[in-house]
Amino acid sequence: MGDTRWLAILRASVAACFAVLVLTGVTLMTAYAPSPQSAWASVHYLQYVLPGGWLVRGAHWWAAQALVLLSASHVAIGALAGAYRKPRQFSWWLSLLVLALSIGEGITGGLLPWDQHGWWARVVEGNIVGLAPVLGSWLQQMMAGGTELGALGLARAHVMHVVLLPAALGAALWARRSLERKGVGGATNTSSSRFGALEREVVAAAGIVIAVSALAWASRGAPLDAPADPTSEYPARPEWFLLTLFALREFFHGAGEFWGTSLIPGAAAAYLALLPWIDAPRPNRPNRVLLVAPVVAIFAGAALLGVFAWRKDAHDKQFIKQHAKAEARAAAAIQLAMVGVPPAGPLEMMRRDPELRGHDLFEQHCAPCHVLDGLGDPKKATATKLDGWGTPAWIAEMIHDPDAPQFFGRGPYKGEMPSVDVRPKDRPASKPWKPMVKDEADKKALAEFLASQGDEPGDPARALEDATRATAERIVQERCSTCHLYKGQGDDEGSGLAPELSRYGSLAWTRAQIANPATAETYREGALDESRKKHMPRFDSDLSAADIDLVARWTRAHARAIPVR
Amino acid sequence: MPDDPKTSRRGALKTIATVGGVVGCGALGVPAARLLLAPADIGAGAGRWTRALRLDALHEGEPKRVSLIADRRDAWTLEKAVELGAVWLVRGGETVRAWSVTCPHLGCAVQQSGTAPGFTCPCHDSSFDPEGRRLSGPSPRDLDSLSTRVETGVVLVEYRRFRQGIPDRVSVG
Repeated sequence: MGDTRWLAILRASVAACFAVLVLTGVTLMTAYAPSPQSAWASVHYLQYVLPGGWLVRGAHWWAAQALVLLSASHVAIGALAGAYRKPRQFSWWLSLLVLALSIGEGITGGLLPWDQHGWWARVVEGNIVGLAPVLGSWLQQMMAGGTELGALGLARAHVMHVVLLPAALGAALWARRSLERKGVGGATNTSSSRFGALEREVVAAAGIVIAVSALAWASRGAPLDAPADPTSEYPARPEWFLLTLFALREFFHGAGEFWGTSLIPGAAAAYLALLPWIDAPRPNRPNRVLLVAPVVAIFAGAALLGVFAWRKDAHDKQFIKQHAKAEARAAAAIQLAMVGVPPAGPLEMMRRDPELRGHDLFEQHCAPCHVLDGLGDPKKATATKLDGWGTPAWIAEMIHDPDAPQFFGRGPYKGEMPSVDVRPKDRPASKPWKPMVKDEADKKALAEFLASQGDEPGDPARALEDATRATAERIVQERCSTCHLYKGQGDDEGSGLAPELSRYGSLAWTRAQIANPATAETYREGALDESRKKHMPRFDSDLSAADIDLVARWTRAHARAIPVR
Repeated sequence: MPDDPKTSRRGALKTIATVGGVVGCGALGVPAARLLLAPADIGAGAGRWTRALRLDALHEGEPKRVSLIADRRDAWTLEKAVELGAVWLVRGGETVRAWSVTCPHLGCAVQQSGTAPGFTCPCHDSSFDPEGRRLSGPSPRDLDSLSTRVETGVVLVEYRRFRQGIPDRVSVG
């Protein structure tokens, strides 16, 4: 029987997958730490730091995919070959159980890295379980370990994945093997080519081991997404073997959703389980083609729906964009973790990173008024545009035309700062007027000098000649300090509006300005005067000192187009 | 009293095994079951008033996604001042309306639609208008609105989570 030969080969392959999974799984357990704070970090350590970790993890991952695929193939071919017929019905049911347990291992294992992909897939799956009548929400909470998927949910998935399901899977495989040996499972031992059959099985098993190792090698391990972040935006998608159920959801909405998305797969599973009776030898047995048609429909339908879901995403522009964003975040997190993850976990690691956290903070708190690096709406911005802020070019433009829309033109400081080289429109022609800088060279020197005020150790070196420095400093002290402070000194004795120019644009200046603009370090008391509506607010009540530091670093670095440190 | 010592020995062993079994089941099995079933008992918690951001950081009528910072308890872990959840805030004059970002369908976070104003879920394509009313897709109800108030220029939101996938709003804490 050619069909049973294939079934024997598949059974041997499934057993080989299981063996690979047990061996690699136990090895992985020597480095894996299941808690929301440590799971991702330990998987990252396995994948990127421990020698050989990536290969063991990759082999585990590929063997897991192969286990689902091969178990499903075994069921499909078995159904077509009639391998469910008495006296082989017990072996057949065990095969169905093996497929179910393989999928269960895939679902529980997917959560263990505690990354975005696994976490969000599991949240959605948990909510689907919660839709079930009567016990649904109870079961959902039991799986999640509470009302939200958290530490206990991870511990539960872990114990399912490494103890309960493997024990059941091992027992099912062993029982199936015993049935085959006794001759009620398969027909192989009645065949004259007994030795040939065994040879085939060994070759198949060895082939699986080689294939899984090669795939692990070629893919450099297994995928790892960004750490699970419950408050993030993430386009969740299930594992490939659940894409069919995902696609099915497309057709059932509202009250019919649970029934449509549970009854159809449930009916398919029931049909397969009942095949030994449906196709029992009896006088009025239906035509075999009729019996096999649903089996073909189940497997072809499942494959088609999966491909349908996959293709839909591949052509969805918004999904592609969200997916790319998620991938960029994963790459950033993986890079950050190379130097180690703090004990509070990878989310804390990301919260402490000036690049990631600074971006998020700027977007939430600064971008409503400012524009920088694509954040903020230039049409709605009422505060200075920060791209280039603190660079000579930006300052030169600013001191030439302070009321341009990208500077003070749309804010409460409009009309307060005079241009250094343009005669004020409202100044009567009879009154004498002298520009603050005598020529372009002086203006350039002034801009260079002011830009250098914000330099920090480690910034790109700035070639500023002593003569230039002296000229510019004299202009600042003679002309600018009429309104501005410079090193705490100014003609208005501290009551004015114009900010301190020494260390302007430095990290300390930026931090001080964000925390509270109304101090002598930056804009002084007048900055928060009620008469200046829409002035920059103080953030020291909204943000922690640490967050102010992070957003200051991010802003300063992105304004100057230098790396964030 | 039985005469056969073998029978009486067997009887005694039976009794001891039974007593041991019953006591074992009671003394260990019940606590073990309670331990395993504990997560199911976690019920609805009260909403938590959480500081969101300053009112003037919101532009009139323009939805903004804001993370709510509060202490977060997960089994044995207490994290101080971390992101508890996120909301979409829309300002209307001096008041603010808030919707949980959690899609009422299966719990993904809804995002601003790419084309029309409003919100879309990236998981199963439920879409909502700018008022949070459902337009299309599998969501069984509108986006979950949350109570807000403005105090001395600061927006506060009463953060709650709800059961997913059902037409009614059932708070789960």
